[in-house]
Amino acid sequence: MSTAQPHVPDVSIEDRLYTVKYRDAGESHLGVKDPDICVECTSNECTQVCPAAVWTVEEDSDGVPSIAYENCLECGTCRFGCPHDNVRWEYPKTGGGVVFKQG
Amino acid sequence: MSAQETNGSLQLPKMQSETPDYNDAYDAIIVGAGLAGTAAALTMAREGLDVLMLERGPAPGTKNVFGGVLYTPTIRELVDVDSAPTERYIAEKRFSMLTSDGDETAVSMRPGAWRDEPHNDSYTVLRRRFDEWFAKQAVETGATLITETTVTGLVRDGRKIVGVKTDRPDGEIRAPVVVLAEGANSLVSEGEGLKDRQEREAVAVSVKEVFKLDRETIDDRFRLDGDAGAAYNYFGEGAVGDAVGGGFVYTNKRSVSVGVAYRIEDAANGQTPEATLDAFESHPAVAPLIRGGRRIEYSAHVIPEGGAKAMPDLVHDGAVVVGDAAGLVLNSGVHLEGTNMAVESGYHAGKAIASALADGRSDEAALAAYPRDLKDSFVVENLRHYDWFQQTIADDRKFLFEDLPRALADAETEYFKMDRTAKDEHTDAARDRLLDAAGGWYGAAKRAWRYRRMLS
Repeated sequence: MSTAQPHVPDVSIEDRLYTVKYRDAGESHLGVKDPDICVECTSNECTQVCPAAVWTVEEDSDGVPSIAYENCLECGTCRFGCPHDNVRWEYPKTGGGVVFKQG
Repeated sequence: MSAQETNGSLQLPKMQSETPDYNDAYDAIIVGAGLAGTAAALTMAREGLDVLMLERGPAPGTKNVFGGVLYTPTIRELVDVDSAPTERYIAEKRFSMLTSDGDETAVSMRPGAWRDEPHNDSYTVLRRRFDEWFAKQAVETGATLITETTVTGLVRDGRKIVGVKTDRPDGEIRAPVVVLAEGANSLVSEGEGLKDRQEREAVAVSVKEVFKLDRETIDDRFRLDGDAGAAYNYFGEGAVGDAVGGGFVYTNKRSVSVGVAYRIEDAANGQTPEATLDAFESHPAVAPLIRGGRRIEYSAHVIPEGGAKAMPDLVHDGAVVVGDAAGLVLNSGVHLEGTNMAVESGYHAGKAIASALADGRSDEAALAAYPRDLKDSFVVENLRHYDWFQQTIADDRKFLFEDLPRALADAETEYFKMDRTAKDEHTDAARDRLLDAAGGWYGAAKRAWRYRRMLS
């Protein structure tokens, strides 16, 4: 057992997403099916499970998340993560969206 | 942001914006040019069929992410693996238990046989490079590839599937058979009622980063030479916190892939993927391996882990489902496989389609050889064999991921403790720590029985 942790440089989600190449499809391929379900939802799993900070629920909003679709890694986690199956998830149009160089 | 493309030299045909009439020009349409789709395309092209691969990304592999190890026995049947853009062969496998206090207990193996060709058919690859190359082999064998084209639905004639709808203008294309190789996010199969959306408990999220490092640095840090590579797998609270899953570090030629994969259920309960990755990369066992590396790509993907029970119907009138879309992923804790299963399913599907079309048929009964052959293959055998595993470890998570790694660390600290106490006393104390964690002799026996199937 040790309390000595090695130093790892701080990295923000912006730093990470900056390494990713995208082709903007111009319109969101993500959405919510029924905003009323989001208004009722207090657990906001979409904001927890997304690795790319796509989903945020502002304090002063009605509970419907704002969606930064441009950051989407197309992993699909939100699609499964929403317990109300309320995520509208499509593939971005004509090859738009994330373009992995490594994968 | 770099706009650099890794394979700029590869010229592949692209569909014109005004789609020509492709109806029934092809024997089969393959949705997705990943490993399963390309394996199916290659198999059919080799049988002399005209096949069309539709890929939604600008090139094969641009939408694909995996941890990092590709197993190639079946790929070897289809193409010349020696010319494939592999990174390193796996010369070492290492399984590590990590506690959140910074302890590591590892088992490592480097069989000499793995150094010899064909290196146990295990290689690290980067999907962008590999998938593009693999698809090119299919094109050279006679398949047609069209990129930047997304399949949005299926065309039916009554019950029978007779083609696909794409997001191209006039983008409906008809063919006798459709191969759904669309991956873990199988929107077409789900939208068309060929499979149900998986429950959250049966799907994992994985996040990964690739760190650029000098070849010599990687060789030194991982004790490698030549094309030798390492596959490190990590378990325990220090790997993925209070979640069911694990972490990994794989060596590429000039980069190292680092990531975590665990149940979306656990992420939804408050353990975010990014924080989990941060903690893993900061662990004293992992941080020195990536120190000084430059982050060159962050990626994420879901992994279907439902096992044999979650497998959808693989065959329909005029269509088959292969690869991740069919849930063909094995995570037994020790064996972490999927790409080999994807290739195997594409291969068997391709064979079955060729044989059905030779009889002028494409109905469900005529394509039944595919699910039958897959059930007889290692794919479904292995899925069935380990079906118990995911639920058992989920039920036993506190012992496996928290108590056991800590008890091992405590026991080894005790066993090797340097002081003026006799070894006997340290040995007894070390054994007691392990027995305590396992619930005494009775508990240990019960657990040994529960996990006996790992070795049976």
